Amino acid sequence: MKKLNIVLALVLGGLVSLSAQAVDQRPWHKEVIGKDCKTCHDNGIKQFPSDQACLQCHDVDDLVKQTARSEEDKWQNPHNNLHYGKDLPCQECHGEHKAKKPLCSNCHTFKFDKHKE
Amino acid sequence: MSNIDLLGRRNFIKGLGAAAGVAMASPAMAVSEKADGVKWDKEVEVLIIGSGFAGLAAAIEATRKGAKDVHIFEKMAYFGGNSAINGGLFAAPGTPMQKKEGVQDSVDRMVADQLKSGRGIADEALLRHVASHAVEALQLTMDAGAEFHPYLQQLGGHSVARTYQTSVSCGAGITQPLYKECKRIGVNTHNRSKFEGFLVGDKGEVVGVKMRQNYHFGEDQPGKVLNIRAKRGVIMATGGFAQNVDLRMAQDPTLTSEVGCTNAPGATGEGMYEMFRLGAIPVHLAHIQSGPWASPDEGGFGYVSNYSIYNFPHSMAVNRLTGKRFMNEIADRKTRADAELACRDEKGNALPPILITSYKDSKKHPNTKKVIKYNVGWKFDTIEELAKHFDVPLKPLKAQIEEYNSYVKSGEDKQFGKNMTKAKDKFIEAPFTVVRLWPKVHYCQGGVQVNTKAEVKDSFTGKPIPGLYAAGEVCGGIHGVSRLGSCSIPECMVMGMTAARSVMKA
Repeated sequence: MKKLNIVLALVLGGLVSLSAQAVDQRPWHKEVIGKDCKTCHDNGIKQFPSDQACLQCHDVDDLVKQTARSEEDKWQNPHNNLHYGKDLPCQECHGEHKAKKPLCSNCHTFKFDKHKE
Repeated sequence: MSNIDLLGRRNFIKGLGAAAGVAMASPAMAVSEKADGVKWDKEVEVLIIGSGFAGLAAAIEATRKGAKDVHIFEKMAYFGGNSAINGGLFAAPGTPMQKKEGVQDSVDRMVADQLKSGRGIADEALLRHVASHAVEALQLTMDAGAEFHPYLQQLGGHSVARTYQTSVSCGAGITQPLYKECKRIGVNTHNRSKFEGFLVGDKGEVVGVKMRQNYHFGEDQPGKVLNIRAKRGVIMATGGFAQNVDLRMAQDPTLTSEVGCTNAPGATGEGMYEMFRLGAIPVHLAHIQSGPWASPDEGGFGYVSNYSIYNFPHSMAVNRLTGKRFMNEIADRKTRADAELACRDEKGNALPPILITSYKDSKKHPNTKKVIKYNVGWKFDTIEELAKHFDVPLKPLKAQIEEYNSYVKSGEDKQFGKNMTKAKDKFIEAPFTVVRLWPKVHYCQGGVQVNTKAEVKDSFTGKPIPGLYAAGEVCGGIHGVSRLGSCSIPECMVMGMTAARSVMKA
């Protein structure tokens, strides 16, 4: 939460008006990031964000807790899964500007009710 | 027929094609070049491409042999390659568990089984090299922390039970410990790094590679290409090409995008094709194996594959049109895949056959619960229910079960000559568990030719290409026509270790 506030302060403080391009963005990200594309696009605007970009605000261990499954299915936790542990970069399953399927769906029929495609 | 997203897969592959087109048109074309006058962006000691079993084993072994600066480059965002999603089955002769279970086995016997399945064209020297070092490689996985089920399995085509399986029933039970071991001993790992070609010295030796940074698979996103010098050599551990529909259809036109695939998306073969451009010898490219244990009800390898591999020895595979068995359930993979593909309805449309197992026997495998839970397999209390659900003629099915059970009793399968050792006392009786079977493209036997030092041979000189080593599925010819199940992990591990030893001696 502390990190989130820091980012919020930075963003609100340094908010500059950018060209109002119509780009899909999650509502809660609009509140925090606003239109400062560079907050996430740390490799340059026309490049994909780095694998660390999302982790400025999101903590992997928190995410692991949020998506934990029962002991029997514990390795189906997308944030701490059997195949890649906690090392799977966020962008493999989540896209801010376009819908993505969870990587698991390549091989498994798991349901992730809260996943936004 | 199934819930596999074939269209999605096709679109995904189309997208790939488009991205490749863009790359080809740009000046930074993916080809090898002379290293003359190249400005090196970076220099490393041992350079490994690919992070599956072979790449990880090579990195650990090179470090153990004294390398101080080992780097693994991985095209995908995540490490482990195809190795992270397979069945985690590891065959080795003369293991502690075989001694415990009283199984008589030897290097010769394992090689003989593999030569038979290879149908006369397998590379005996390589098979013998791998089988001779398989226990050592198994030990390396255990030293890194891999854990295995406390029982042996006998897979199709093997004359004895000699297969270990990770306790999580997946190759990740090995790649995750190996990856952590790599981090612990200081191996440098780079994800999103795509190999773009070799840099070649005056004598045709490999002195480095071109590597695209910040690469996003399947996306049109260029990144920057670095020239990286490899002081000791380059180890190619880039895997097969089962996910590249164009390349596999060039070898076997029946393997269209309509045929599923068990591999990780990155198994697209460009590392192998680049070695051919350099002069490597292509071997057995048309021998592409489909897994006969896969299910049309889920994507990729999924849960059913391991479930059926475990259950085939004490199960009955039935053609839904006739209600009768149609194959030896533990024949080698090609025999079974061909038999399954022949299961069709009156109009010739695919009619995936079913695998019937007694629940009491199937439930011993940890996947059984999940197969039922995720609706890729079903449990039935009576044979009538089962027959109705899959529209199988009841009378012949009942008669077949009775006949099969007589073979369980006598120990002799008069229909297909199945080895009934592991079926002893395991009669087919209610309640039943059932999955549907349909082959999926699983493994490319073909690749570049290597010798028992993991050196890549040049097609014109017949000598090794200096500075170039290869290990794992990217190599060809070892298995011949059909690879036996659980023989790839020992190959990848042993050849990865071998490549590392060679690179450190060179």
